[in-house]
Amino acid sequence: MSAVLAWTLAAAAALALGAVAWAVRFGLRQRRELGKARAQLRATSDELERSRAASAEAYASLQRTQAELVSSARLASLGDLIRGVAHEINTPLGALSSNYDVTRRALERLQIILEDEVVDEDELVEVRKIVAAVDGVQETNAMAVERMVKLVQSLRTFGRPDRSEIDHIDLREALESTLRLLSHETSERIRVVRELGDLPRVECYGDQVNQVFMNLLVNAVQAIRDEGTITIRTRQDADRAVIEIADTGIGIREENLDRVFEPGFTTKGKRVGMGLGLLISRQVVERHGGSLSVRSTLGSGTTFIVALPFRLPREAGTSGETVRAGSTAE
Amino acid sequence: MNEDRPGTVLIVDDERMVVRSLQSFLGLETPYDVLPFVSPREALETLETRPVHVVLADFMMPEMDGITFLKKARELQPEATRILLTGYADKENAIRAINEVGLYYYLEKPWDNDHLKLVIRNGVERSSLFNELSSRVEALEKVNEELRGFRERLVKAFL
Repeated sequence: MSAVLAWTLAAAAALALGAVAWAVRFGLRQRRELGKARAQLRATSDELERSRAASAEAYASLQRTQAELVSSARLASLGDLIRGVAHEINTPLGALSSNYDVTRRALERLQIILEDEVVDEDELVEVRKIVAAVDGVQETNAMAVERMVKLVQSLRTFGRPDRSEIDHIDLREALESTLRLLSHETSERIRVVRELGDLPRVECYGDQVNQVFMNLLVNAVQAIRDEGTITIRTRQDADRAVIEIADTGIGIREENLDRVFEPGFTTKGKRVGMGLGLLISRQVVERHGGSLSVRSTLGSGTTFIVALPFRLPREAGTSGETVRAGSTAE
Repeated sequence: MNEDRPGTVLIVDDERMVVRSLQSFLGLETPYDVLPFVSPREALETLETRPVHVVLADFMMPEMDGITFLKKARELQPEATRILLTGYADKENAIRAINEVGLYYYLEKPWDNDHLKLVIRNGVERSSLFNELSSRVEALEKVNEELRGFRERLVKAFL
């Protein structure tokens, strides 16, 4: 009996020990697993933190890229501007540099004639020739200087794009200035028709609005592959000035018409502007409280319509920052 | 060669200031007659009736580009020397066109007057020599024709 009891007790003790050992093992395993899970959690949280930081970095870098894209679009239009100026300045420069040389030669000849203090018949003929040459020089100097003054006036309207100030611009003048800078592109193959109404001056950030005109006109020029016409119309629509720039160029496919204002949309390849010109133009116009729209027929041409209120909306008028073309990137 | 040999130079550029400048310079420094034009069409009308030695044309003109103008000038006076004056943005086109119109020279704006003088003087000379050659060839052909006549008569006389 006692042996049976002893065996039972021993068995019970063994069972209990086993249970305790299992419980301890189980507890240990659980703790280990918990620890593992905690470590995993920590790792995950670290990872999350890392990927959050990476996203933040990526976002910042995207913002930088966008800013760069916007400024490279501006640089591209700056490039157009510079090419135009270089070409425009070449004609008066050619005349002036030749005139300077002619004056020098004329003076040399006069000095030779005057060397002996006597002017004979033959020399008189020569003096008349010199006078005729200097006369021509004077006339062309005046023309060249006038041309350069006009060019500088045109450039002034593009003056300081970063420190834009509120102007009251005359649309006719603004459009003519832009056309003058593009005349090397248009003169030969593109006829420019002006239907410019007598409109009040428009209160706006002149530099930016001129850049919009430049942009739209460059687009019009580029849309015309061979020969064609660009028609510029201005009219008043209640409290807004409406400017239409129509080309007889290749036109835009209907499915692309909504996309032309999207960033990166371009049919010009990677060459110029990176497809931001119209996006920026629309932003500039909208921040002036206006609108920029387009209609087009494939194969027969495109018209861009800018509507600008004659007076700036007050919130845009209070700070130059609000209307700054590049501020999309900030 | 004789520098005082008269020559006629026709200039066409839609920019009056360029035409006037060239005219002033050539008037002072060369013995040539200068015919200045701002309209290519009017210049062509003159070329129909008046022989010239050198035709100097701008490239970019609204009425008609320089290449088209020089092509027409060549049809009217093939023996005249053709020179193109090009601006800043059109160099490639100008070079491409050199073969198209049998261009003697192309000058870039802003041009150097000494260089221009040399090119024009050579152009006038080239054209004069060409004219001289043509008239000599013509005279030779005439003499040749006469000789042939003589020979035929001689042959007839002996037979």
